[in-house]
Amino acid sequence: MMPMLLCTLLVNAQKTSVTGKVIDKETGAPLSGVTILFEKNKKAITTKNDGTFSFTINTPDKNVTFTYVGYLAQKMTLGEETNYVISMVQDNTLQSEVVVIGYGTQKKSSLTGAISKFKNENLDEAPVSRIDQALQGKIAGLTIQNTSSEAGAAPKISIRGISSLYAGASPLIVVDGLPIADGLSFLNPADIESIEVLKDAASAAIYGSRGASGVIIVTTKKGSSSKTKYNFKYSSGQKKAYQRYDIMTTKEYSNMLFNEVALRATDPGFPAKDNIVGDADRAGYIIENALLGGKSTDWQSETLRPGGFKNIQLSASGGSNNVRFFVSGGYQNDEGMQNKSNYEKFNIRTRVDVDFSSKVKLSVNINPSYAKKVSPSQNFTNFWRAPTWLPVYHNALTAAFVNTNPQYAGIKAGDFAHPRHFSNLKYTGIMPDGTTWTSPTKGASASGSAQQNAYSDIMRSDITSNDYRLQSSVDLSIELAKGLIFKTVASSLMYYTNGLSFYEREYNSEGSLNRGVYTNNRYVDLLSENTLNYTKQTKKSNINVFAGFTSQTTKIQNQQTTGIDFPSDKIRTLNSASQIEKSGTTGTNNQIGLISYLGRVNYAYDDKYLISASYRTDGSSYFAQGSKWGQFPSISGGWVVSKEKLLSKLYWLSNLKLRQSYGVSGNNRIVDFAFLDLLYGANYNYGSGTGVTAPGLISSDDYLSNPNITWESTRQNNFGVDLALFSNKVSITFDIYKSVTDRLLLQQSAMAFTGVPQFWNNLGKLQNKGFEFEVTTKNIQKKDFIWTTSANISQTRNKILELGTEAFLLNQGERTEVYRNKVGDPLVTFYGFKTDGVWLSQDQINNSGLKSALPSIFAPGGLKVVDMNKDGVIDNNDRTDLGNPYPDFNWGVTNTFKFKSIDFSFLLQGVHGGKLINGDPNYNESRRIIRTYNQNRWISPLNPGDGKTPYSTNGFNWMLTDYVIEDASYYALREVNLGYTLPSASIKKLKVNSMRLYFSAQNLFFITAANYRGVNPEGRFSNGPYSSVLIDGYQRGAFPIPQTFTAGIDINF
Amino acid sequence: MKNIVSLLILSSIFLASCEKNIDLYPQSNITSGDFFKNASDVQIALNGSYNALRDPLLEEWKLTELRSDNTIMWSSASKSAPNRDLSDLDMFIPSTSHTAVYNYWIANYFNIRNVNNILNSLNINYDPTVGKLNAGSTTVVITDAQKKAVSSEAAFIRAYHYFNLVRLFGGVMVIHEPLDPFEAIKINRSTVDNTYKLIIADLTYAIENGSTLKQASIPVANLGKVDAWAAKALLAKVYLTLNRKTDAALLLNDIITNSGYGLVTAYADVFSTTNEMNKEVMFAIRYKAGGIGQGSPFPNLFASELSGVAIINGDGAGQNAPSVELSNAYSVLTGAVDLRKAVSIGTYGAEYNNLYPKKMVAQVSLKGDGENDWIVIRYADVLLMLAEAQGNTAASLALMNQTRARAGLPALTATTVSTTEIFENELAKERRLEFAFENIRWFDLLRFKTTMPSQDAVATIKANFSAMWTGHYSKYPTPLTLATIQSYVTDQKLLLPIPQREIDNNTKIVIAQNPGY
Repeated sequence: MMPMLLCTLLVNAQKTSVTGKVIDKETGAPLSGVTILFEKNKKAITTKNDGTFSFTINTPDKNVTFTYVGYLAQKMTLGEETNYVISMVQDNTLQSEVVVIGYGTQKKSSLTGAISKFKNENLDEAPVSRIDQALQGKIAGLTIQNTSSEAGAAPKISIRGISSLYAGASPLIVVDGLPIADGLSFLNPADIESIEVLKDAASAAIYGSRGASGVIIVTTKKGSSSKTKYNFKYSSGQKKAYQRYDIMTTKEYSNMLFNEVALRATDPGFPAKDNIVGDADRAGYIIENALLGGKSTDWQSETLRPGGFKNIQLSASGGSNNVRFFVSGGYQNDEGMQNKSNYEKFNIRTRVDVDFSSKVKLSVNINPSYAKKVSPSQNFTNFWRAPTWLPVYHNALTAAFVNTNPQYAGIKAGDFAHPRHFSNLKYTGIMPDGTTWTSPTKGASASGSAQQNAYSDIMRSDITSNDYRLQSSVDLSIELAKGLIFKTVASSLMYYTNGLSFYEREYNSEGSLNRGVYTNNRYVDLLSENTLNYTKQTKKSNINVFAGFTSQTTKIQNQQTTGIDFPSDKIRTLNSASQIEKSGTTGTNNQIGLISYLGRVNYAYDDKYLISASYRTDGSSYFAQGSKWGQFPSISGGWVVSKEKLLSKLYWLSNLKLRQSYGVSGNNRIVDFAFLDLLYGANYNYGSGTGVTAPGLISSDDYLSNPNITWESTRQNNFGVDLALFSNKVSITFDIYKSVTDRLLLQQSAMAFTGVPQFWNNLGKLQNKGFEFEVTTKNIQKKDFIWTTSANISQTRNKILELGTEAFLLNQGERTEVYRNKVGDPLVTFYGFKTDGVWLSQDQINNSGLKSALPSIFAPGGLKVVDMNKDGVIDNNDRTDLGNPYPDFNWGVTNTFKFKSIDFSFLLQGVHGGKLINGDPNYNESRRIIRTYNQNRWISPLNPGDGKTPYSTNGFNWMLTDYVIEDASYYALREVNLGYTLPSASIKKLKVNSMRLYFSAQNLFFITAANYRGVNPEGRFSNGPYSSVLIDGYQRGAFPIPQTFTAGIDINF
Repeated sequence: MKNIVSLLILSSIFLASCEKNIDLYPQSNITSGDFFKNASDVQIALNGSYNALRDPLLEEWKLTELRSDNTIMWSSASKSAPNRDLSDLDMFIPSTSHTAVYNYWIANYFNIRNVNNILNSLNINYDPTVGKLNAGSTTVVITDAQKKAVSSEAAFIRAYHYFNLVRLFGGVMVIHEPLDPFEAIKINRSTVDNTYKLIIADLTYAIENGSTLKQASIPVANLGKVDAWAAKALLAKVYLTLNRKTDAALLLNDIITNSGYGLVTAYADVFSTTNEMNKEVMFAIRYKAGGIGQGSPFPNLFASELSGVAIINGDGAGQNAPSVELSNAYSVLTGAVDLRKAVSIGTYGAEYNNLYPKKMVAQVSLKGDGENDWIVIRYADVLLMLAEAQGNTAASLALMNQTRARAGLPALTATTVSTTEIFENELAKERRLEFAFENIRWFDLLRFKTTMPSQDAVATIKANFSAMWTGHYSKYPTPLTLATIQSYVTDQKLLLPIPQREIDNNTKIVIAQNPGY
């Protein structure tokens, strides 16, 4: 939009007195309170209620500026005329922006809640297959963590931290009015018009029982009345691992061991009996050194590859005054960085808007999509931790060697090599110290692992799933009377997912049967919304009343069939399976229902005083009779201070609005039927011989029900300031909030002797407080050069206020590392032993006078656990707070430049202060072969290394100590986009309107904290125990960060 | 205006029908609340409880055989976390949060919960003051005979779980009613005596109400269900453990005279998967192969590690590996070949002597889907228990000679067994060899302290550490001496720790940890 100045000049011959009127260019309505600034003497006046003004001027004082909230500032030089009509143009980029709110839209200038809007400008140019992955660092208060960077993997999303213990932090996703839990996964990024994030409870309360963790509203594009426009976009690129594990080869490792032995031999403090290199290590060395000719296997390279990325988009939009359309088709192919990992997506979207009359309007939206996902059967961990002496395939030497074991006599060069092939064999060879070693008569094993070579497992399996979706909606709106609109919406989401995971013979272990797991999942979600909306605008006040009723039903059907023993690995249909495996064959049906009544009143007086109140009541099938209904009210107000007379003269102040809101939102997202104890099949066999199966049923060994389980509710206060300065050159939004969630839905740990480890409860209170700060500056706005910066920073602090009658809960992760949830502390704190370097010698241990019954706590070269309570005994009472997984700050800064036909932008993003528990060093292989765990380690009392690094096999369990706790902070150059728009002259003959070439890159640099020892500080485990938010911040075998490069073309014609 | 009215009417019709939308119940599961209606429902629940007997077995061998002198954690050099967990148990240094200990604890209590639900639905309640089960009237439609059958089996299962728990952990929480988590945090450990009180009450009830048909007359469909004889055998073991030898002998003699159970001719046939529920098996936890989710995981867990398909399909995990010392114990002293050795212990790899508990390992067609039942009580145990109850008498030697004869060993005579100590040594050894890998040895070692004072568990295990030192324990990588590992075994360490989670989780009352942990 170009600022425009329209003056109607009326001639009147008076020299010193000027009169006039300021009107809105579009509506012609008079604008009151417009600031008129005289540049010379910096004085200002404002227009009257009818928009008129009058003043006298001195001849030199001819330059005046008109400014008004929500409008573009206008400069003019007074001429000979004395009466002016000034038409001001709304500033669409800012205050008059329309924002999508729950069940409607609102002018941004009238908002009273905390809502961030993100307009899709080049989201679809980011080389990611999911829209959410592209939002990282762009919206204050919206945290996106790519816990896995595998193709198509869902990131962890939260708005304003964690407000719920069970349902976690995932916000409600609403796509064109329909709540879709995984709505961000299947949308075509190019179809998205805008994304609104409802952050405060007052904004989210209109979504009632599902709004407690915030709401993300996605609005898709629609057509406008114009000549049909076409857009074509194509991009393609590649990604590769930013960083890999630094793995020692067997040769390097063996050299290290032999050097250590030599060092220890000179140390009288080290027992000679223990100063040996084990048979397995020697055997591994012989394989790598002699049989592989010193050529170690780089297992990470065996599975990692540069993953290709391809994105093709084609859309058309246009229409007449009465019928408008938007049609698009898209294809994306996202190849994972690991082999056999791929995500492919096709999308079609059709949206048609029809105006039957000025009063009756219909809109139809249909979005079929298809996605295919191929996943590797082995995760990255099983590659990097494989020993480098293990070849992928046998060569002639290794084959001949393993043939000496009669069991592996048939192995030939070219066959897959597995660790077990190298066990129980007679080894002879030269060691790094020049000696010749021969294994004992019993033989030696280079590995005791029963696992197969991970590459062979990947190649012998195909895990695919197909997702067919149809999202559609029809809405009909009728203007019943002036300002009163009835709208009925019917929308549906249906999807069908079928998958086949096929494992060939010999997958996973020798002699294993082939197996096919067929899954069929059907999901039908129907939503009906009926609303009445009444708007009345008078001269000063603007009122909007909205009331509605909605009903939603979801039906879910999941089926899985497992067939085993197929005659051939090539024929994979179920009919050829010789047997159906009962334990892998399941089927469940489920339904979920929600009905709601909702209403809202928005009132604005003079665009200065704003008030809004809403109310929703939800009835949910998740709860038992008597606990089904929940109430969710909200109220909020705003005051546009800059419109007050007193401040309207401040020429530099374009906008100042204060907002305050309070609301209650809820959460019902727990497992289905938590109020009922369900019985599960548990058959048994009686009778002679092998018995005859009799049906049995048994209660859940997972959780106990609670018939009184009900909503958890979050009450949140939000105070916000919107500030714009210097003709909107600088705009700032600041929000501060505090929320308390109570009656938390929680799977509380039960005493194990109840027989069941946990039970459902509404328990305790959780507080979140924090702030968000967003600033956008237009640094330079010249004709040929535009530079804007937008930055955001946010902080969330959570604290447990109450846990029912408990003071704290302790939870264990997969390696018995402990997570504490304690009243007064952040939701999760790591709980364990503090350490102070390593025990340097037995003497040091003896002199400490400490006692302990804990296993292996006193060992030279092992971690030195601190006696926190100084009672001379190291026991479980010495465990203490070791930090928490929550970052202090999340921030992002985007800079955008436009220089003539070149556009350039980059995003820096960072997270500071959170910690993580690194599970890698729990594993023997990791400790042994990852270089960081071995550098400067303790070797013997006289060679203590840095005094901080324990010898990998000595002493206390690392997982129970702060030795595995690391700083998860990072900052990164997340995105760089560079575009070039071809000059219109040169493309005219191609008959296109515009053509732009672009290049983008992600993660050009990624800086992690100094003590971080992994490859991806964002990586988190989220399966098993880690699906609970009470156990958070654990990482193991993280997948590397992708570094991507993409080039594309964007054509409009 | 007309439009509005009709819209409102339409909407209200729509709304009324919508209330049904949120009154939904599961479609794929029965809910427990209204389940127990008739005899068939109770039987189905009982079938489920039999099924849940399998869960504790997954951990039981780790807490019994592995800690005894029978088996070891095979790969002494392994430092992998699961192997470390196993060697910690083997060496008597389990942490209080040891996974196997916790899993075993909760698996037992899980099935206690199931059984309590069944007994509660039948209104059969335990009165802790008098130590007796009382049957009240029930709303479940069930005949008296059906009720007796089902409740006696349920009571047996409960006693079986508590008997294992009390021997491994000492006095435990005695839960005999459905328990909600809010009540649970008020409950502390009971004494050992009170735990046994419930066990005896349950088994007495099972004896009074269970089937007393002779083994040969049991209807085929009922094979595998607990009968009064199994309850008598288990109660005899309880009495023996409590050193009530006379009470035990009374029950055991009754079984020998009246039950119709007996020894099968060949030792191998006891465990054969084609001879299940033979006349020696008084109670077994049953498995069934065939890809129906009822298979036993043990054949693959117990077959030698990295054996590929050499022992059974789907490779082995090498767990519960027999100690060389046990293998050598067969046929020492007597000079004769003990036929049980070849049945019990298998060897993989001619040169390398990888041992595995062969009698538990039958061929599988699918990994983890074994057929082998897990025998809990068999007739041979009855014979040898009676010998233990009677002490060094000619009658006792005759009982022992029955199992010895089947094993191809010469009979013991009063001449060779000249002292009580020799008798006790012979009986302890006979039991060890007869029941190797059946999770019996550990409990025997604990019990012998009272029944046969010459047999001391701590001394036996120390001696085993010594015998296995060179070949096995000395290979552990941490600086470990024989003296150190022997110092790990104390009388206190014969009990397992109460799971740390249980102590941590109750912030209301203090649950005492077993001394020594």
